[in-house]
This record gives sequence, C-alpha cells and structure tokens, in this order.
Amino acid sequence: MNAQLEATPEPGAHPLAGTPMTGADIVVQVLADEGVGVVFGYSGGAILPVYDAVFRFNHEHPNADGSEPLPLIVPANEQGAGFMAQGYARASGKVGVALVTSGPGATNTVTPVRDAMADSIPIVVICGQVPTAAIGTDAFQEAPISNIMASCAKHVFLVTDAAQLEATLRTAFEIARTGRPGPVVIDIPKDVQNAPLVFAGEGQLAIPGYRARLRAIEDAELDEAACARFVDALAQAKRPLLYVGGGVVAAEATAALRTFAQALGIPVTTTLMGLGAADTTEALSLHMLGMHGTAFANYAVEDCDFVIAVGARFDDRVAGVPSQFAAGARFIAHLDVDPAEIHKVKRVDWHHLGDLSRALDALRRHAAARGFDPSGVGTWSDWHAHLADLKHTYAMAYDRANPRIQPYAVIEAINRLTRGEVIVSTGVGQHQMWAAQYFDFTQPRRWLTSGSMGTMGFGLPAAIGAQFARRDLLVVDIDGDASIRMNLGELETVTTYGLPVKVVVLNNCGDGMVRQWQKLFFKGRFSATDKSLHKKDFIKAAQADGFEYAVRLDRPEDVDRVVAEFIAFPGPAFLEVMIDPDAGVYPMVGPGMTYGQMITGDHIPSRAPAPAKEAGPSEMF
Amino acid sequence: MRHIIAILMQNEAGALARVAGMFSARGYNIESLTVATTHDPSISRLTLVTTGDDAVIAQIINQSRKLVDVLEIADLTSREHLESELLIVKVASTPETSTRIADFTHRRYGITLDETPSTRTLQFTGRGAHISGVLDDLAAFAPVLELARSGTAALDRGDLVLALQD
Repeated sequence: MNAQLEATPEPGAHPLAGTPMTGADIVVQVLADEGVGVVFGYSGGAILPVYDAVFRFNHEHPNADGSEPLPLIVPANEQGAGFMAQGYARASGKVGVALVTSGPGATNTVTPVRDAMADSIPIVVICGQVPTAAIGTDAFQEAPISNIMASCAKHVFLVTDAAQLEATLRTAFEIARTGRPGPVVIDIPKDVQNAPLVFAGEGQLAIPGYRARLRAIEDAELDEAACARFVDALAQAKRPLLYVGGGVVAAEATAALRTFAQALGIPVTTTLMGLGAADTTEALSLHMLGMHGTAFANYAVEDCDFVIAVGARFDDRVAGVPSQFAAGARFIAHLDVDPAEIHKVKRVDWHHLGDLSRALDALRRHAAARGFDPSGVGTWSDWHAHLADLKHTYAMAYDRANPRIQPYAVIEAINRLTRGEVIVSTGVGQHQMWAAQYFDFTQPRRWLTSGSMGTMGFGLPAAIGAQFARRDLLVVDIDGDASIRMNLGELETVTTYGLPVKVVVLNNCGDGMVRQWQKLFFKGRFSATDKSLHKKDFIKAAQADGFEYAVRLDRPEDVDRVVAEFIAFPGPAFLEVMIDPDAGVYPMVGPGMTYGQMITGDHIPSRAPAPAKEAGPSEMF
Repeated sequence: MRHIIAILMQNEAGALARVAGMFSARGYNIESLTVATTHDPSISRLTLVTTGDDAVIAQIINQSRKLVDVLEIADLTSREHLESELLIVKVASTPETSTRIADFTHRRYGITLDETPSTRTLQFTGRGAHISGVLDDLAAFAPVLELARSGTAALDRGDLVLALQD
C-alpha cells in the first residue's frame, strides 16, 4: 500500500490511482470523489462488503472535527432510504445516494426510484446482488433488479464484469445529474464487491448515444432568427404569461427566470414542482396553477394570449383538457431540455431545446436590443391591472369563523413564523395542496413534494434527507394522518440522529383527498377512506420514538401559541393538529373540466356558474 | 398503421428489454423483431414492426430515443425503405408432390435446405407480404409441418444511412 502511494502519480491523476482495492473499496472511493456527503441505506447479506468498506473509510479518514466523512443513515425501511436520498437531492441539487441489499432491500426502493424518475430527481441507488454465479437460481434474497428497475429508472446497470465497476459508478453519477436528471440504479453482485481490483481514479463507460444527445442540447444556442420570431410574437401580445415548471428548479435557472420575468414585465405562475422558481410574494407572481391552483392563476391562464412554458410539461394536473388549456393563447412558446416533451401534450408555436438560463438571457437581451420596453406606453399595464384585480377578487380564502381548526390557518401560522426561510416537505393529499397554496415560496429547493407519482409517505423521509443537506435551515414536514402512516417508522430515524425536524400531522381521520373526490363524484360513499374509528394515538407513537416535544392541538384559539412553541423547539418536534374533517381543497379544476369551470368552493368567488353537467366517475383520475 | 422502426443500440444486456418495454408498457404488441450485431460489434441493429396510432408511435420513438443505450432510432415507414424477411418452412412431401414442391420452390426464388423421404425444408426471402403469399400458395398443396420467420429487416433506400449523429 505504501509503496503504491509513493509511486509518483501522473500530474492531474487521482492520488490513489494504481492503488489495489476491492470492488467495495472502489464503490466508497467513487462516492467520496463524487462529493457524496451522506449515504442513506440499510444493510444486508449481499451488500455487506460495501458496508464494511464504508465503516473502514470513515474510521481511516475522519474529518478534522472527528466526524465521519461518509455517514451512513439507517432508515426503518429501504423506501425511507430512497426518499431520504431524494430529500437530500431536492434540497441541495446534488445527487442523493441510497445503499441497500439485494432482494427485498432493492425492491423496497422501487417506489422512490420511480418517484424520482417522475419528478426528475437525481439519485443513485446502489444495490447488492447475489454472487454472479448464483444469479437466476432463486438464491436467497435474489430479485431481478436490473429487469425491475429498467422499467422505472433513468438507467440501470448490472455489473457482471468487475473490471467495469469503477467506470460504471462514475457513469451512473453522470447520467443521474445530466440532461433531465433522474434515478440510476447499480446492481452489484457480491463477488464483484469482493473482487481484487486496481483503482484507476478515472474513466467512464462509453455511452455515445446519450452523450451525443446531451451535448447537442447543452451546446444549443438560440440564434437571432429564433429570438426574433419569439420577440415579434411577444410584441403582438397583450396578455403574456410565464408557465414555469420544476425544470427551472432542476436547471438552477431561477435567477435567469426572475430576471427575464422582471425585465419584460411578464407575470409568472408555477406548477406544483415549480414552486420557489418565482417568489410567490411578488406582485407579478400568481402562485400555483392547475387542478388545485389559485383561482387567480387559473383565470389568468384563461385570459392570457401568450404562454411561455419553461421547464414545464403540460401535465394532466395542469392541462387536464389539453385543447382547452390556455385556449385564448395565440402563441405558445416552450423551453425545455427534453425533446420528448415538445408537442407531447400540446402543440406549440415556438420551442427551444437547450440550457434554460442561456435561452432566457438571450431572449431578454434580444428584446432589450430591439428597444422592447414592457413599461412603455400602455404596453401591458392593462394586463397587470387585470391580474392585480384577479388576485384581489379571487384571493385564497376559507371559513375563519369555523369553530373547528381550519388546516389553512395552521399553514398560515407556520408561514407567518418562517416566511420562506424553511424547507417544507409533504405527504400526498389535501395537506399537500394546502401547503402548496398557503405557504410563501421565495426560493427554490425549499419545497419537497412527490408531484408526479403522488407517493404517500414521502414527507417524513424526505424531510430527514433535506435536513442532512441543509443543517442550517428549519425543515418542516407537513403531513397527513394517512400519509405519515405509510412511513411512520421513520419517526424514530429523526430522533436517532437528533435531527431538529418539525413534523406536523394535519389529522382529519382519513384519506381526505379521496374523501373529497368521493363527496364530489361518488355521491358521498366513503369507501375505505374513513379512519375515525382507528385507534392510532400519534402522540404516544411519537413519544415512543423518542420525541420529547409531542403535542396534540385541537382548539382553534391555541393554534398561534402552540405553533410558535413547536417551531421554536430546539430538537425534534411532533405536532398533531385535529383539523376540521370537512375542510376541502379549493379551488378545484375537476377531471375533464376546463379552468373556466373551476369549482372555487364556498369562500372564494367564482366568475362562472357551477358546471351544468356533473362529471361522472368514469374516465377520470 | 403499420410502422417499421429501426434502432441502433449499444450491444448491452438489458438494452433490448428496455426498448421492447416501451411498447409492452403501452399495451402495444410487437409483430416482429429482429436484432443482430452490426459491422461494429459494439452496436446492434434492431428492426421492430408494430401497428398502432401514429401519435402514440411517435411518442414511443421520442421516449425510446432517451434510453441511454439507444444510439439512433428512426421510423422507416414514412421514408423510402427496403425491407426483407426470411422464411424457413418444413412441409410434408410425398412421391406425388415432391416434384411440384421443387418446381414451386424454384419458381418463387426459394431454395431447398433439406429433404427426407417425407419432408422438404425450404427457404424463401422477400418482403413480408411476398413471403406470406408464398406460404399460402405452398400450403395449398403441401401440408406445412412447421415454420420460422425472421421478422422484417429494413434499411433506408438510397444514400441515407442510419448512424449516430456526431
């Protein structure tokens, strides 16, 4: 070993190049080289060599303060590890890593892998596999992970040739973080982990097709002619609108987007995944659009005549009826990095595939060079005044006099204390939508939610992962009683690692969102969604898992006081809020409805009469 | 409508399954599929024939182009192309039909690969429709015992070459 280290490496070469290592040691070294600061995972037979290598690495390379350079965070269930890796990735923009064993360990990560694919989140999941010679023999804890994951990951590698292990690991990180980000799975048989190898310190796999497509998009520049077509059309517009999705967050294009919007005076509405791309507290920000978007954002979509979609994909929760989405728009422009999204749902009039920041900057500069002045005489002042009126008239509202705790009031109380200086994670359902609607979002990567897959149980492990990424920020999991049950075991993970995560359970004794649909579309037959007779005592559960602060809030007059002490509590804290079980999520653009037919509920005005035809339960999801 | 899709992909385990999965996940049946290594041993060419809605097929092609192992993909249907298929068929032969089988094979540009006192194994090539016609005509007088069809292989006509764009 010493002799190897004394050999003078090539200039610029990895200092450990040429060092003999096992496959497991190479896994850990590449993780360290890739800047991975924490690994989430659960051990087991087929991944033992890598776990041992992590142990030795931490023992041999302690940080200056004595802490471990590569801490292993152990969840209750591998699904938790996957979502922790996602929470870490979503909050930091770095690749999150999960390390699990073969068979059930690996299959438990299928849901977070698919979830990461659907929301374009970069994670690498490393799975142990039975030894190469045992693959396909129904060995103990064997599952065909490369087959299973191939259907739901951005890419999967089964490493059968140990000589390819190092290049495969590096390539996995490259694929996860480049282009449209996503999850990559590496399945490593145990004999490959134990193989005696020599660390090269460099090298990737040849993936010529992927790299050629990536380069074409990364190098793409908007030419003058394309800019001119865009600006010509924009100059004709009276009511332009930016429709911004999670792609802007993924591309770190928030600054360019905000500069573009401000310079040109174009209002911004974001998708659920795009929250934080625009500062929702600004005058020209319309918060979220879509199925549960704000009424003023959705009416703005109805009223606009020019749409600029940036890093957004006209998903069914936004464009439920594609032909009627922004039906008044005479021109739709689409900027993205994924060629498959262009014209997928809605045909657009202009598109550009390439780096979002550079494209937005180019368009802005082109407009400025042409003397385009959005604040010029009467340019869009009527439109801005109209939007101000929409925001005032159709503002979010609820029954503030209700004797039962309204969930919106709880979110507002937390928001008053945090004002965007917080990372919010959620489960899936009503509480998720209330959090999306009632929090202010001032910065990207502070809103962690399972948008496309809609995975209940996401919130708690995602909050844990996010707290590891951002030790400096308050992390609050806004959860529901049904969602948190899905990964309730991770309550203990919070206290095991002493994380100051704040867990809020908005308890409406059931699956509130499903109940809302049953109320609206199934004549109130609450099939399997009422949990009011369930015996769960969440406070005892939290206490049993070591939460020193575990409080049940059930009187409206206590909301402000208890929320304040809960947020101020220095360590892990758990707050269960018994909310009005009849509280609904409004506005709601029902399935098959246009934005004009949006149901605004009892407390937000509607500018259209309720739809004459009641939607049937068929054909909708 | 019928689509002939040509795909160049890295010759990796799992690559074929991922491409095929793009179709099966949407409930689309693959009518024929041929895969073989090209003149570059690291690259395989796959020719896939399926029938379906044009917009859905276009969507599948766009999604398949994102697969890491895929180098290039094209729908040949809309372009001038050449297609060919191989049929190997074993028919029952009797002293009464053996001459007729031999004549038929010669006339339809086939070859006899094997013969026994009671069987003939024949090979025919051509477009899928041609092969189907040959088979129908043959079966009319010689009982088919078993057959194997290669599925369609196709290339662009003319100078056009499907290759990785650099």
